[in-house]
Order: sequence, then structure tokens, then C-alpha cells
Amino acid sequence: MNEIIGIIICTILAWLNFVLVDTYFGLPEQAGVKGAETVGESIEKRGGDIAGGFFQGNILCSPDASAGTLITSIGYLLLGIRGAFIAAMLIYIGNRLCADPGYAGTVGSLTMTVILFLGSFVGLTPEMFIVGIVIAITTIQGLDHKSSSKILGKIANVFNRHA
Amino acid sequence: MIVGIHEIYILKDYILAIIISILIAYALKIPLLPKKPYRFSFQKSALFPTPIFAIGFMAFAQVLNINLPYEGVIAIIVGVFTAFFVKYIFDFLFPLPPESNLGDDTNE
Repeated sequence: MNEIIGIIICTILAWLNFVLVDTYFGLPEQAGVKGAETVGESIEKRGGDIAGGFFQGNILCSPDASAGTLITSIGYLLLGIRGAFIAAMLIYIGNRLCADPGYAGTVGSLTMTVILFLGSFVGLTPEMFIVGIVIAITTIQGLDHKSSSKILGKIANVFNRHA
Repeated sequence: MIVGIHEIYILKDYILAIIISILIAYALKIPLLPKKPYRFSFQKSALFPTPIFAIGFMAFAQVLNINLPYEGVIAIIVGVFTAFFVKYIFDFLFPLPPESNLGDDTNE
């Protein structure tokens, strides 16, 4: 598959994977730690959405499905499915060290393993997914907090997970 | 990287390790499910995170190329080890976070 088309598809898949899994497991509902609360309130003060702010604070403060998606892709690139499973365990350990129950990160990692496995049949390589998730995280954390938090707030509303 | 039938074939060891770890963890009186609400519960249970450690340890065993004469024996050993790990060692390695960090008071 053409690399550019592959990266675009992988970006969309990675974005959907981490945003949907993180939202389902309640990241926008409450801040897990003080740092996430500070980030959320700061984004709200600048005109953003509090649920989107908590979401961004939470993925900043602990390895949730965003980190799960990235580390699983790297593990899959290095060791195949075994690497993805090792990544899932390491993400759970990382979650617990960051005072997080670990459901979002671990489930995100396992769903990403399935996506990587299915993607390998149509020519989507782990390298494309690594680039894709970096772009996906940049759209949430790196471009404009105000508008991205509003989008995350709307998705949280759909899942009934708004703060 | 194209994943072939071989990669699907090795999954049987993981499934065996997961089933054995859950059964033994439950037999060691670890609750089957965490306390409600599940999303915010830090309590360990037989269904989470026991299978995560089972697949992690199993993957480590395969990557390190640990082989035993009989097929599937390594999966059984990993399953048993994981259940005992979660029962007796888990709490020392991953203690509950301090109350102030749980986030219960952050929405007030």
C-alpha cells in the first residue's frame, strides 16, 4: 500500500481507537490526579471544555490508550504479537505507577493489537501506525487545546461520560 | 510485516495461560470482578489484571525462547505463577495510591 495513504488510514484508526477507548473508560469524567485537574481547569479558563480538559490532563499524566496505542505499535514492530502482549503488561504497570486503575491503557493496547493484526492483512504496517498515532496525539494535544477539548467534550456527551 | 498462520498458532499457549491463571486466581480467593464502579476500581480481581500478567509473562517466556519437552507445559507454569504473583506479590509492587490522589475530591 502507498505509504502516505497508509499513514492517513492509520492516523484515523489510531485516533478513533484511543479517543473512543479513553472516553468509554471515563477519562473525561474526572481527573485521576492533581496534575490532570490543573490541566483541565487551565483549559477551561482559556475557553475550552472541562471534560476535554480532564481527558487531556489524564492522558498527559498517565499512559492511557494513547500511550497504549503507541507502545503496542512499537512492540508489534519489534517482536510481533508477543511484543504487543509485553507492551500491554508494561502499560498496565505504568498505569499503576501513575495512580491510574489501568483499564483504559490496557484495553486500548489490546484493541490496538487486534487492529494491528487485521491491518497486517491489508498492508498496514506497524511503522505506519507509529507515525499515525504520533499525528493523532498531536491533533489532540499539540495544535489547539480549546477546539480539541470541545470536540472531546462532545464525544464525552455521546458516551454519557461528561464531567 | 505480514502475520501468518504461525502467529495464530502460538496464541493457544496464551489462551491456556489465561484460563489457568483465572481459575487458580479464583481458587486463591481473589474476587472474580473488581468493586463497582468498575472503571474507577483499583481492586485486583481474577479477570483484571490477572490475564494481562499471564499474556505478558507468556510473551516473555516465548521471547526468551524457554522451551520444555512437553507442549503447553510452559503455559501451565506461567498460568500458575501468574495467579500466585497476583495473590501474593502484586500488592507489594503496586500498592494503592494515597487517598488524596484518588480523584474523588477533584470535582468539588
